[in-house]
Amino acid sequence: MKRVGFVLAALLALAGGQAEAQTVSYAQAAGLLAQHCGDDIMKLCRGLNLGNGAIHACLAQNAGHLSPACAANHEGIRQMTEARAAAQKEVYKVCDRDRAQYCPGLVPGDGNIVSCLLEASKVVSGACTASLVNAGYTQQ
Amino acid sequence: MSLHLSTVALRAALVAGIAAAPVLFGTSPAAAQAFTPDSAIVQGLQASVSNVPTVSAEALKGLALAHMQYSGPPQSRPPLAIQLDQLAQINVEIEFDLNSAMVKPASYRTLGAIADAMHNPVLLGYKFLVVGNTDATGTREYNMKLSQERSDAVVQALATTFRVDPRRLESVGLGQEALQDTRNPDAAINRRVQIFNIGSTGVLAP
Repeated sequence: MKRVGFVLAALLALAGGQAEAQTVSYAQAAGLLAQHCGDDIMKLCRGLNLGNGAIHACLAQNAGHLSPACAANHEGIRQMTEARAAAQKEVYKVCDRDRAQYCPGLVPGDGNIVSCLLEASKVVSGACTASLVNAGYTQQ
Repeated sequence: MSLHLSTVALRAALVAGIAAAPVLFGTSPAAAQAFTPDSAIVQGLQASVSNVPTVSAEALKGLALAHMQYSGPPQSRPPLAIQLDQLAQINVEIEFDLNSAMVKPASYRTLGAIADAMHNPVLLGYKFLVVGNTDATGTREYNMKLSQERSDAVVQALATTFRVDPRRLESVGLGQEALQDTRNPDAAINRRVQIFNIGSTGVLAP
């Protein structure tokens, strides 16, 4: 857990001075899972896939047989992916008033909402901007 | 021909981007570099023409199954009767376990990068078709089944773990019926996953 905290902090530091994102990309989280647990997965979870949480369920079930690096990190890495997913879901709630105000032609469920909010980035609320950053939709 | 080349170039960019990824864990690269692989995928999947042909997993599957009637050597078979070149697309190299739909951990980062691209603001309004292909080793029936299981595995990871709305995703396996290199039917280049932008989602009920 401590190690993941360190890795996460390092990733966030590398994301650049202006970015305040509290989350990392799916690619980064998935890369970390392969890095820390790749060998464990090939040994203990052969035939299983990332979909439907099958890999994380397998790693949890085999807790006693994992390499130290995987044991220390896999749950933290799962939480990174969940955090990014939650941040992306949250945008539509946090930014709904901004959508209504600055993107009046777009109803909820329209795929263009995020692009519209980004175009209006100078005027959308601070909470909405922070939410867009956390979701990985923009860097600042 | 130029379209074919651009696909290859994009794949090269994608591979190069992923190969460069460990830089992330190095000293202190420019922040922008961290987004290069993702932007290469996004660029490849952006709709380049507004008037694209309608393509669905079901239609492609029908064509691939019909294609199995051509019994000659792979070199002698006609191409699939569908024009896919006009669609924005990328080829991705995803490593699967032998004779299995299991994505090897070495390709997890690629799966995540595809998901990041599909969540990119410029692509949020689009649907994607994930297409699995094998080389010509093994029987055509087996390859058809395996490639479907593999494209399904990719779509399932995108739709569940990485939260791409399943209404934006279709999956089809074409077996060895759409070889990229018909002159070398067993070549590695034929074992590929393609992703096509198949048009706007319209408004999806939240």
